[in-house]
Amino acid sequence: MNKIILFCFFMIATFNQIQAQKILPQISLKNMNGKLIDISKIETNNVTVFNFWATWCVPCIKELEEINEIYSEWKDETNVKIIAVSVDDARTVSRVKAMVNGKEWPYEILFDTNQELKRALNVTTIPYLIIVKNNKIVYTHSGYTYGSEIELYEKIKQFSN
Amino acid sequence: MKKKLFFIFVLIAIQFNAQNNWVSGNFISNSQYYLDDNKTGDFGENDRFRSNNYLKLDANLNRFSLEIQVESYAPQSLLNFSSNFDKEIGFATYYANYKSDKLDATIGYFYEQFGNGLVLRSYEDKQLGVNNALRGSKLVYTPVNYVQITGLYGKHRVGFNVSDGDILGFDTEFNLTDALKVEKSYVNLGFSIVSRSQEIENSEKGFQKNTIAYSGRINYSKNNFYSSVEYVLKEKDAIVEFGFVNTQKLAKGNAFLLNTGYSKKGFSIDVTFRRLENMSFYSDRNVEGNLDNEQLVNYLPSLTKQHYYSLANIYIYQTQSRLTFTPFKKAGEIGSQIDVFYNVKKGTFLGGKYGTQLALNYATWYGLDAEFDTENRTFNAGFTNFGVKYFTEFNIEVLKKWSKKWYSNFTFINLYYNKKYIEETSGKVDATIAITEVTYKFTPKKSVRMEVQHLWTDDDKKDWVAGTLEMNFSSKVSLFAADLYNYGNELKKIHYYNFGGSFTKNSTRVSLSYGRQRGGLLCVGGICRIVPESTGFGLSINTSF
Repeated sequence: MNKIILFCFFMIATFNQIQAQKILPQISLKNMNGKLIDISKIETNNVTVFNFWATWCVPCIKELEEINEIYSEWKDETNVKIIAVSVDDARTVSRVKAMVNGKEWPYEILFDTNQELKRALNVTTIPYLIIVKNNKIVYTHSGYTYGSEIELYEKIKQFSN
Repeated sequence: MKKKLFFIFVLIAIQFNAQNNWVSGNFISNSQYYLDDNKTGDFGENDRFRSNNYLKLDANLNRFSLEIQVESYAPQSLLNFSSNFDKEIGFATYYANYKSDKLDATIGYFYEQFGNGLVLRSYEDKQLGVNNALRGSKLVYTPVNYVQITGLYGKHRVGFNVSDGDILGFDTEFNLTDALKVEKSYVNLGFSIVSRSQEIENSEKGFQKNTIAYSGRINYSKNNFYSSVEYVLKEKDAIVEFGFVNTQKLAKGNAFLLNTGYSKKGFSIDVTFRRLENMSFYSDRNVEGNLDNEQLVNYLPSLTKQHYYSLANIYIYQTQSRLTFTPFKKAGEIGSQIDVFYNVKKGTFLGGKYGTQLALNYATWYGLDAEFDTENRTFNAGFTNFGVKYFTEFNIEVLKKWSKKWYSNFTFINLYYNKKYIEETSGKVDATIAITEVTYKFTPKKSVRMEVQHLWTDDDKKDWVAGTLEMNFSSKVSLFAADLYNYGNELKKIHYYNFGGSFTKNSTRVSLSYGRQRGGLLCVGGICRIVPESTGFGLSINTSF
């Protein structure tokens, strides 16, 4: 027992010496065209929002629907880009393309079928979003209720300057 | 002592949160305090307070990264989690990784999926208590951007130990259209080999300790049309019945998966067809069919719609992939699922001011029509023969935004559930479910959600009614009250009530609830855990840093 506590403190001391930058990990996910996209190489000079969702997550769908109504305004004002990362696994992944097109969503979609990116970014529950600017993660948020998109846009504007 | 450890965990998490450029990670805690219930009975186990806690820490330095996950089950894990989660605190998983543009090397515990998961998938789902990470090493080599080669070796995680069996895997993917610089269409080829090796004591002479599964897949898409297919062959392996590994009686397995669809803005149709024959595949043959979903090599989810509403989660289909002769003759399953999405445009009669969205789903699953020779433990199944009907479900969902303040969702489900074959008891269920959900926004950031559900059936536990009221005061605070009432059940006419609230700030969420939980299946991604009937308080903490 004491050994474990000692080990934990040793790890903390070691981690102290390592500058851990909160940057995007070098993980490649497929897009809707089957092409592998390296997350760390995505251009983020403009504010980029990674939104984790799934076809079975009702609040996630509500969020992406609400943003869809005002996305073009957001893009005009801030050049923001929203990348919707689906964490649907083999059970529900076949529904992703059908749902995205059926609902006419304009977002870039990435498939995180074995939840590799979700784990690397410490996403615990969905919906979950991270805001990235110049390759650094500047803001994270968990959950969605109607009106959360207003606060999201305030953050997007804040980081756009 | 246990409380001290819990406190230390929280301190570590807070410290890292405050000085947030050292390491990153997350902390998840799910606790329950079980109470006696005058309607459903006393809590008969020891330890009324149970808790599952997970602390993950990551450190990155240039191309190297380290990760460690500490888990604590204090004083015991939550009810019905595997008895292998038996340490009050221990190192659960850890790894060291090196990544460059072409090479990705990991030593320690890792996760991976080949193709659709029919031959290999190792992943984690904390809610279900599933973690079949492999401990060993994995190498992914990407010489050019259209070729990827993966090699891995490991033993499955089992609680705080590892499996008796070894897994060796190889996978390659080749993006043909990228290689030939073809732009307008997409063709991707994949091939995998997975071998499980395990010595069996006193096995029959000539018994192979290795079982190898081969898989080939093709994915194609052009314009609005797409199609993909995967075929798996599993070598003959011992038939396992009631924990006994019969090395004298062997059986082969195979799987066929076809997914195809047409998708354009405003309209999509997706069709999946799958046939499984003796495809259960475990690291340790002795634990075949275990209820804790441990040591699974592959992933065979049930291909039905995953529902959000409580009454739609009572009769859930579970994949029938195992070969059994008693008490029922089963060799696998065959069936299909169809999804249609349609967006009724704004301004049309049915669309209204904001449009209307329709989603239809139809799923149907049958056993394999096979000739079973119980005495000799053999079977013969035709490829397209449909046997006993296991499950059928038709559902339609209509989503509508009426104004800036009003939203509604109406769902109708009609299902057939073969309780006899799926649960291995007796009976069947024909049920119809109707659900109406309405959300009203008082102000742009304050809303209330109301849900009314009803289930009609003459079978099993008869009719149910359910309702939920959820008040979202802001993006940070939310309160809810829900009830499921089995009023049609003459033997057990009780309410399964639940009250609670949650507080969310940035990436931290804390929720507290009190209620009586219906016993049944909790399913995430088609893998289910049996959740016992229980009453009590629940506390859940999720934070990332």
